[in-house]
Amino acid sequence: MILPRPLFGRSGRPPGDPIANRWAILALPAIAFLVLFFLVPLVYIGARSVSDFPDGVEPSLFANYERFFASEANVRVLGNTFWIAGLSTVACLVIGYPYAYLTTIVRPRIAAVLLIAVLVPFWSSLLVRTYAWEVILRDTGVINRTLLAIGLIEEPLPLIRTTLGVLLGMTQILLPFMVLPLYSVMRRIDPEYTRAAANLGARPATAFVRIFVPLSLPGIMAGGLLVFVLALGFYITPALLGSPRDTMISQFIANQVQQRLDWGMASAMAAILMVLTFVVLLIASRFVRIRDVFGAVGEEA
Amino acid sequence: MKKRLRMPALLIAGGLALGACTGGASTAPSTEPSASAAASQPAASAPASPAESAALAEVCTAPPKQDGVTLTFASYGGAYQEAQRKGWLEPYSALTGVKFQESEDSSNATIKTQVESGQVTWDVVDVGNDFGLDAHADLLEPLDYTLIPQAEILPGFATTYRVGDITYGVVLAYNTDKTGGQAPAGWADYFDLTKFPGKRGTWDYSEGGIFETALLADGVAPKDLYPLDLDRAIKKLDTIKSEIVFWPGGAKSQEQIGAGEVAMSLMWNGRAWSAKNVDKKPVEIQWNQQIVTADYLVVPKGSPNKDAAMNFIAWATCANNNAAPSNYIPYGPTNVNAVANPDTVADLSVTNADANSAYFDDAWLVDNFAAVDEAYNNWKTQ
Repeated sequence: MILPRPLFGRSGRPPGDPIANRWAILALPAIAFLVLFFLVPLVYIGARSVSDFPDGVEPSLFANYERFFASEANVRVLGNTFWIAGLSTVACLVIGYPYAYLTTIVRPRIAAVLLIAVLVPFWSSLLVRTYAWEVILRDTGVINRTLLAIGLIEEPLPLIRTTLGVLLGMTQILLPFMVLPLYSVMRRIDPEYTRAAANLGARPATAFVRIFVPLSLPGIMAGGLLVFVLALGFYITPALLGSPRDTMISQFIANQVQQRLDWGMASAMAAILMVLTFVVLLIASRFVRIRDVFGAVGEEA
Repeated sequence: MKKRLRMPALLIAGGLALGACTGGASTAPSTEPSASAAASQPAASAPASPAESAALAEVCTAPPKQDGVTLTFASYGGAYQEAQRKGWLEPYSALTGVKFQESEDSSNATIKTQVESGQVTWDVVDVGNDFGLDAHADLLEPLDYTLIPQAEILPGFATTYRVGDITYGVVLAYNTDKTGGQAPAGWADYFDLTKFPGKRGTWDYSEGGIFETALLADGVAPKDLYPLDLDRAIKKLDTIKSEIVFWPGGAKSQEQIGAGEVAMSLMWNGRAWSAKNVDKKPVEIQWNQQIVTADYLVVPKGSPNKDAAMNFIAWATCANNNAAPSNYIPYGPTNVNAVANPDTVADLSVTNADANSAYFDDAWLVDNFAAVDEAYNNWKTQ
């Protein structure tokens, strides 16, 4: 007589167990969804990038890619994209690291409040938050109006339509993706290590820099990678808060789709961005386990 | 009394616009060079046959009853589509029984998607001046000019795949608080930061008038704009580059000029009008050197209600119906015989058209889109 086996729990089987794997069938809808709505369109985009050419372009396999790299503006904007994504990552780290650290050392109730404060912005749309930044930063906005009124400045400060404006907007949106992985790793760092360092004569700052920071590196890598990759695809925020010099590649892709109607080129641009993103992940994978980034962050830390 | 006086003004201005368009090389060019226009316009100048005239007249006054037909009409939403709804869709429904389903997100890309996938759900689409040319033949049904009164439409505004439904102007709008109460006289003043300090708004679109207005400011005559001298335009634009604020869409342009975020802006006249009359902001329009252009009606290829769509388009471009939206928004007719609302007639682009007005050469712009856009992107992102 075969008894039903418990799925989980102490008496459960290890993950490799063939019977437990029967339940993997439950993942089928998710896999089907991904294949249908993610993988198939992706293949389609790839195929389109090497087969769809507008009038006047000599068809050849890589014609769209050649056209992309022949354009100074495209290459410049691709560079901008990585530069701004990098700056956003640094900004998120500078703000997020102390914040996450603070969250790990305060009482649990306060830690909960701090975490919720990071998550609250998630509850309003990206567009609304970007418009809010615009109202705050523009020449006739809250900051400039106030400073002008109290006579601190004569001319409005250039806040909007600057890289600073883009960074403010993007950092606020991306911050949770930095803080949460950091927090998850930091709270698992055994305080005994830093205490041991102190016992051995290290001053608090030394103990923090030599012991705590290295132990939190997986969180830094995880958060940094997550923020960087997400930042590469930003579109609305640089359009509304940046100057034309802060244009990112997504804006150019939208231009190709909506105005130029050159979908072969748009596909090639999307493919280029994706390949470069994979290159980043590949390089990062030498330093950090990718599955820690997108999955069980810090579980083993 | 004052209102009455405006009526002849419309006719005169309309005539001027007409003269400007047909006058050949000595005056402003039409939106399309006459050669290509002639090639793509069947029977543009030939007199309509008696049977055709009858069909034309009938569709204008007594369009066929078509109960049970539902047309999907896609336009740009907001006050604009509201004006089209009140001026055209509702009266047409009452006359013919045709019901309308509306989309408020007209986009060339959506038309392309629908046609490519064979899932055409839009029957009549209001598009901008950058669409509906021969370059888009794969995506559109040829219009039925046995029904549409082509001879009455502004020359060049009714071609194989599209017919202008409303006209508007790309104008110089200014915030009087920011110009010290002075009025800029034209695009040269828009580029004069000494005389008029302050930020300059413009549409973030390579073919929305940024190059044309730079050339007009630099002394190029409206008739000599095309082919665009991109190097010269960019040199001119460089002189005010640091002061330029780009707007991504009409609502934003209205907000920027109203708030004084910019002192002057290249705008669509309806948005400048709204900033002044709806938002009650100190905004005025300089009509001198405006670019007269239009929105167009097209029928995506494979529309399941093609014939009903043609009837509606013909009806909406007839002299007795074409100006109806001008009761609700300052966008004018394309039919030269249509009479606009006397209250708004002074605020219409066609009424203010004169020898200084310019016209987009849409066919040239579409054919040279890649080069123009590349020059624009390269300039803008440096």
